[in-house]
Amino acid sequence: MNGPARTTDTTPPLDRETIGAFGPHLAYAKDGRLDTGIEPDKYVKTHCCFCGQQCGMQLKVKDNVVIGVEPWYEFPFNKGMMCPKGIKRYLQQAHPDRLLHAYAKDAGATGGFRAMAYDAAIRQTAEAIDRIQSTHGNDAFAVLSGASLTTEKTYVMGKFAHMCLRTAHIDYNGRLCMVSAAAGNKKAFGIDRAANPWEDILGAGVILVSGANIAECAPITTNYVWQAREQGAKVIVVDPRITPIARTCDLFLPVKPGRDTALFNGILHLMIEHDWIDHAFLEQHTVGFEAVAASVREWTPQRTAEVTGIAVKSIQQAAEWWGTAETSFLCHARGLEHHSNGVKNVMSAINIVLASGRIGRPNCGYATITGQGNGQGGREHGQKCDQLPGGRDLANPEHREYVAGVWGMDPAALPQPGVDAYEIIRKIDTGEIKGLLSLCFNPVVSLPDSHFVRQALEKLDFYVVIDFFLSESARYAHIVLPGSLHEEDEGTVTQTEGRVVRINKAVECPGEARPDWQIIQDIAKALGREQGLTFESPREMFEELRVASKGGIADYSGISYERIEEHYGVFWPCPSDVPDGVPLPGPQGTVRLFEPGSWNPVARGAGPFYFPDGKARLNVTPYVGPAEDVDEEFPIILTTGRVVSQFLSGNQTRRIGPLVDHCPEPRIEMHPRLAARLGIADGDWATAESRRGHCTLRASVVTTIRPDTVFIPYHWPGRKSANQLTIAAQDPISKIPEYKVCAVRVRKADAPPEYAAALEPQQ
Amino acid sequence: MPVPDALEFFIDPGRCIGCQACIQACTECDTHKGQSMIQLDYVDRAHSTQTVPVVCLHCDSPTCAEVCPADAIKRTEDGIVQTARKPRCIACNNCVLACPFGVPKMQTKMNLMMKCDMCYDRTSVGLKPWCASACPSQALAFGTREEMARLRPHAKPVNTFQFGRQTIRTKVNIMVPRDAPTDIVDVTASMHEPTIGREILDDVFMERPDGGDA
Amino acid sequence: MPEAALREPSRSSTRRQVIAPVAWGAGATLVLSVLILVGSRNLAHFDAALVGYTFSVLFATFGLTYRYAMWLQRPPTAMYWRRGWQAFLRPGWRRRNAGMWFRRVAEDVVANRFIFARNRLRGLTHMLIMWGCLIAVAITFPLVFGWLHFRPVPGDLSLYEAVAFGFPAFRFPHDSAIAFFLFHGLVWASFLVIAGVMLAVRRRMRDEGAAAVQRFAEDFMPLILLFAVSLTGLMLTASYTWMGGYAYTFIAILHAITVIGTFLWLPFGKFFHIFQRPAQLGVGFYKDAGRAQALAHCRRCGHAFSSRMHIEDLIEVEHQLGFTYEIPGDDGHYQWICPRCRRASLAMAQGALWRGRRGGTPLPDTRPLPMPVHVNPGLRQGPLGVEDADNFYP
Ligand code: SF4
Ligand code: SF4
Ligand code: SF4
Repeated sequence: MNGPARTTDTTPPLDRETIGAFGPHLAYAKDGRLDTGIEPDKYVKTHCCFCGQQCGMQLKVKDNVVIGVEPWYEFPFNKGMMCPKGIKRYLQQAHPDRLLHAYAKDAGATGGFRAMAYDAAIRQTAEAIDRIQSTHGNDAFAVLSGASLTTEKTYVMGKFAHMCLRTAHIDYNGRLCMVSAAAGNKKAFGIDRAANPWEDILGAGVILVSGANIAECAPITTNYVWQAREQGAKVIVVDPRITPIARTCDLFLPVKPGRDTALFNGILHLMIEHDWIDHAFLEQHTVGFEAVAASVREWTPQRTAEVTGIAVKSIQQAAEWWGTAETSFLCHARGLEHHSNGVKNVMSAINIVLASGRIGRPNCGYATITGQGNGQGGREHGQKCDQLPGGRDLANPEHREYVAGVWGMDPAALPQPGVDAYEIIRKIDTGEIKGLLSLCFNPVVSLPDSHFVRQALEKLDFYVVIDFFLSESARYAHIVLPGSLHEEDEGTVTQTEGRVVRINKAVECPGEARPDWQIIQDIAKALGREQGLTFESPREMFEELRVASKGGIADYSGISYERIEEHYGVFWPCPSDVPDGVPLPGPQGTVRLFEPGSWNPVARGAGPFYFPDGKARLNVTPYVGPAEDVDEEFPIILTTGRVVSQFLSGNQTRRIGPLVDHCPEPRIEMHPRLAARLGIADGDWATAESRRGHCTLRASVVTTIRPDTVFIPYHWPGRKSANQLTIAAQDPISKIPEYKVCAVRVRKADAPPEYAAALEPQQ
Repeated sequence: MPVPDALEFFIDPGRCIGCQACIQACTECDTHKGQSMIQLDYVDRAHSTQTVPVVCLHCDSPTCAEVCPADAIKRTEDGIVQTARKPRCIACNNCVLACPFGVPKMQTKMNLMMKCDMCYDRTSVGLKPWCASACPSQALAFGTREEMARLRPHAKPVNTFQFGRQTIRTKVNIMVPRDAPTDIVDVTASMHEPTIGREILDDVFMERPDGGDA
Repeated sequence: MPEAALREPSRSSTRRQVIAPVAWGAGATLVLSVLILVGSRNLAHFDAALVGYTFSVLFATFGLTYRYAMWLQRPPTAMYWRRGWQAFLRPGWRRRNAGMWFRRVAEDVVANRFIFARNRLRGLTHMLIMWGCLIAVAITFPLVFGWLHFRPVPGDLSLYEAVAFGFPAFRFPHDSAIAFFLFHGLVWASFLVIAGVMLAVRRRMRDEGAAAVQRFAEDFMPLILLFAVSLTGLMLTASYTWMGGYAYTFIAILHAITVIGTFLWLPFGKFFHIFQRPAQLGVGFYKDAGRAQALAHCRRCGHAFSSRMHIEDLIEVEHQLGFTYEIPGDDGHYQWICPRCRRASLAMAQGALWRGRRGGTPLPDTRPLPMPVHVNPGLRQGPLGVEDADNFYP
C-alpha cells in the first residue's frame, strides 16, 4: 500500500456558506428546557442513541419537545448511569439545524440547497434510481446504511436493497466498526454476539481489556470493571495510550499499534509453556489447538516484546495472571479490530480464551464492546453486503430460499453478495456505481482517506441522502430527504450484550420530516416496486423480522415488544420453538452463550458452539504487521479514536453545545519526548502528514501515549479530520479499514490553519 | 422533607475516569438548572489522566458558613449545607477561599456564590442526586452503608479529614481501604504528592520511533 | 426546616457582645424619637391616629440596630466592615471610589443588575417589590413622623403647601400632576408590590428547585405581609374614594395591624437583607483594593489565586473563629493553598491510602507541582470560565 505522497492539493473546502445555513450550530438548553417549573407531559422510557451500551433513560417531553432526561434506575444494565452524551442527547431534538424539508442541490440558493416539496423530491429520487438502474443495471445503484438505526429500519434497508432495488451493493457503517469482531467470532464460535452478559464481568477474577478505551467509548462498562476490582479482580489493559482506565489498572501493556496478534500469540505461548491450559475443555469442545500451539511456538517472550514494544516481564505477568485465573473476562473493541489484520487480532484473543477453557460459564466470558448505537442488531438482519435477516448468508442457497419465501419473491431474483462500503466508494470512483442512497452514514467524515471519498462522491450521477441534519456528506448530495431522529420513531435495538431493547417514540417528526422507513417505502412506491415495503409501523416490521430470522442464528422469533418491556430486554437467540426435549430459553432469552449442554440450530445438540460438531475453532493467527509501517519518510505511527463527548462522525454531537464545550476541537496527542524532538510545545499548531493528506491541529503534549505514536480523535470534519491521513487498507476478511495504524510525519506548523479563524470549533 | 438518614454519599476519586457525566448531570438539577456545581480537575494532565471530582462534602461545622460575613450559608438539620441564600450573599469570596475542599463557585455577575446542595430537590424526596445517578464509574455513589459494604468489601467509608491541625468532619464519605491504618484522611500530609499514573518506560521500546536518539 | 445551630463561638465575652448591640439599639431608637419630636414641632403636627405606627417603627429601629450591631460583631463581618471602609477611604483613591460608589449604587441598588443576571423574571419581581416598598416608605414615613404635612395655602384655595420639618417647602395646585401623584402615590406603590408578590408567589408555587428548599417563615411570610399591607391600603383608598368611607375604621385597623406586623418582622426574617445588602458595595471596594496589591501565590502550584490581603484577612478571621488550619512547616497555613490544589490534594491523600492496592504510582516529583486544570475547557453552562477570571481565582 505504501506509495508516494499525493501531489494534488487535498485540502477540503471550508464550506462556510453551507455551514452558515445548515450548521453545525450549537444548541444549549434554554427557555422551557431551563424552566424548573414545567411539569412534563410524559416521561418516555427509551435508550440512549449514542453508543452500543444503550443505557436506559427517560425522556421528559413537553409540547412535542424533549426538555430533558431523567435516570431510569430500574433498567438493569445501567441502573440510571449515563455518560455526558446520554444526558445531553435531548438537545439534538428541536435543534435549529434540523432539516424540516426536502432539499435539492442548487448552487444559487443560500447554503447551496433549495427547499423543495417532499413528494417532488421522492419523485425525482425514484426517477433517478430508475434511470440509472435501467441504463447501467441494477448494481449501478448502491445503498449505504447505518448501525445506529433501529433493527426494524436495518431490516427494511436490507429488504429495500435486495428486493426492491435488487442491487448487490448495500453495505453499512458497521463496516467501520464491529465487523472484525463479527468475522472473528463467526470463525471461532460460529455465532457473532457477546458471549456473556456484563454481569459476568462482576465475578471475573482477571479482566483483560484489549484495545478498548472503556472510559471514553463505553463509559458504563467502567462500573462493571471497577466493581469486579472491588471484589478482588485483577485488571489488565492493553492500549498504546494510558487511558483513564489504564491509569490505575493492575497491569498495563502499552502495545505498539497494530501488534496485537503478536501479543496474544506470545501470551498463548507462555500459557502452553507453563501448562496453564484447560486440556479437558480443549479436547471436548474445540478443534485446531495443535496447529495453533505449533504456530505460537516461535512467539517467545523476547520476540513478543520486540514486536509489541511491551516489556518481557509485563508479558509474563499477563500470561501468568490470565493463565492461572479461576474466572476471567476478555473484552476488546476497535483498538483490536480496526486493523488490516483485525480478524486475526480477534481470533488470537479468542485463542487465549478458548485455551483457558473459561467461556460459557458464569463469570467466565468474552465479548466485543460494540460502538454504534445498534452495533449488534445492525449487523444481523441483512444490511451487510453478504447477509440476509437472522444472520443468514446471502450466498447460501438454503438461506436465500427461506428469506425469499418470507418476502414472497423468487430466490433467483435476490442479488448475489455485493461489496463492502469502501469498495462501493471505489466502484463509484471507477464509474461502476453511478447512484447512491445513504442513510445514517457520513462517509466524508468517517471513511479513511477522505480525500478519495470526497472526490468519488463528486463523481456520482445521483446521490440522495436521508438525514435529520445536513451532514458533511449530505453536502455532496443532489437530494436530501428529511429523516427521523432516534426520539421520533420507535423500534428495537440490540445492545452490546446481545440484549434486544425497546426504543420508544417521544415526539413527532417536525415539518415535512418522516420516519426513515416511511421515506424508503415512499421511494419504493414511487418506483412502482412497493411490494413487501408497505409496513404501517415498526411493530409490523418486527413481526416480519421475527419470521425472517426464525431458524437463523440470530433468531428473534421468540421476542416480542411486550416481552422486551416486561423483562427489561430479551437476549437473542430467542427461538419461538425448538425441537422436542430441548428447553426454550428463559424469559430473558439466551443470556449467556455456549453453556454446557446448550442447544443451537447449527450443532443441533452436538455441543455448545455454533458449528455442526458443536466445537469451537482455534484459528492459526500468524502475525502480519500493519499495512503501512513507519519508515524514514513517515516515521511516526498515527492512531485514531474517540473522545467521550462525541459520537462517530459528530453529525449529532457536534451540534450539542455542552458536549462541544467538553472537548471543542481535536488535538494531536503526543509524548513530550517526541514533541521535544519536533520542537513542539503543548498548544502549538502541529501539522501531521501522511501519504494521503495533511492535517493541522493543536498539539496536546502528554506522557500518556507511547512516544512513537500520535493520536487524533476522528469526530471532526473537513480540515480537522483525522481521516484525511488514515489509510484505506482493509482486513481481507472483514473489510474493516485500518484506522488504528498508519505512518505519518509531524512538524510544527508554520502558521495557524485557515480554518482556525474561519470556523467555529465544531464546524 | 429532610434527606433520609440512611442514604449517604460516597466519593472514590480513584475510580473517576474524567468523563464529565457528573458535570453535565449537575446542570440538569432543578435547584440550579443550567449550572454545574461539580468541581472536576485534571491533577496534572501533562502526566496523567488522573481527575478528581469534588462535590460539597457538607461539613458538620462548615468553614464556608462560618467565614461568611453575610450569614448566607445555612446547614439544615439533615446535615446538608445549603447553597448561599440569594438575598444575602454579597459575593465576597470568603467561602470560596476558605472551604478546605475547594467547593464553592462564585458567580461574579450574579453576585452569588453557588455550590452543591446534594440535589436537595431529589435527595429530600429519597432520590439519588444527579451526579451519583449518572456517574459511569460510580466514583460518585449514593446509597446505604450496607449497600456500599456489600459492593465494595475491601473499602470503607470515612468522613474525617485533617488539614494541618484542623480536623473536619463531613456528611459525605470518601472510600479508603478497609484495613487502612486510620480513619482520618490527612489531606495536607499528601499535599505535595505528584499525580498518580503510569510511565511508559524507556526500556519498553525495543525499536525507536524513528531510529533517533530517544 | 429549622437550621441546626452553627458551631458555637467561644462564650467568654457573650455578655459584652450583647450589651453593646443593646446600647446601639437603644441609642438609635432615642435618636429617632428625638427626631420625631423635633421634626413634628413637639408633636404639633403629629397625627395621633398614627401613634401605633410610630411605636412599631421605633421598635423596628431598636431591633434592626441591635441585629445589625450583633451582625457586625461576627469576625468575618467585622473584618469586612473595617476593610471595606479602609478600602473606600484609601488616600489617593477617594475620588475614584466616590465615582465607583455612584456607579455601583446605580447598577446594583437602583437597577438590580445582578438579580437580572440571576434570572430576568426574578429581576423584574424584585424590582417591582423593591420600588413599590421604597416609594411607599418615602411617602409614609415623613407623614407618620409628622416630618411632612400638607396644608391649603391661605388665600388661594387652589394651592397646597408642603411643610417639611415645620418649614414651608413648596406649593402646588391641588389639581396638578404632582398633587395627583403625591396623594395617590401609595396606590401606585401597592400596585407595584402586588404585581411583584404575584410573580414571586407564582415562582414559589411552580418551581421545583424552589419547592425543595423554601420554608414558610423565611420565604412566604414576607410575601404574605407585603401583600396584606398593599391590599388593605388599597381597600382604604377604595373605601373613602368610592364607597363613602364604608367600613373605613375597620379597614384602617386591619391596615395598621399588617403594617405594624411587617415592621416588627423587619429585623428577623428575609427583610433584614435590605439592611445587609449594602455591604456588597464594600465588597466591591475591597476587591478593587486587593487587585491593586500583592497577590497570593499558592504554595503548592505557585499560581496566583487571590489577593494577599484577602488571604491574610481570612487567616485572621479563621483564627478568631477558632479554626486551626495552620500547617507545620513551610506551607504555614492551609489558606495559602489554592482551591484547585486543595481538591487535588484530597485525591492525592485518598490515593496514598490505596497505594500498592490499586495500579498506578506517583509520578516523578516536580516542585512546584503543576496547577490542576478544570477538565472542561469551554464550559459555558456554568460558573467556570469568565467568572473565575473575574475573581482571579484559578
Ligand atoms: S453514549 Fe453509551 S454510555 Fe453514554 S449514555 Fe449513551 S449508551 Fe450510555
Ligand atoms: S461522572 Fe464520575 S467518572 Fe465521570 S468525571 Fe464525574 S466523577 Fe468522574
Ligand atoms: S465542603 Fe466546603 S462548601 Fe461544603 S460545607 Fe464544607 S466548607 Fe462548606
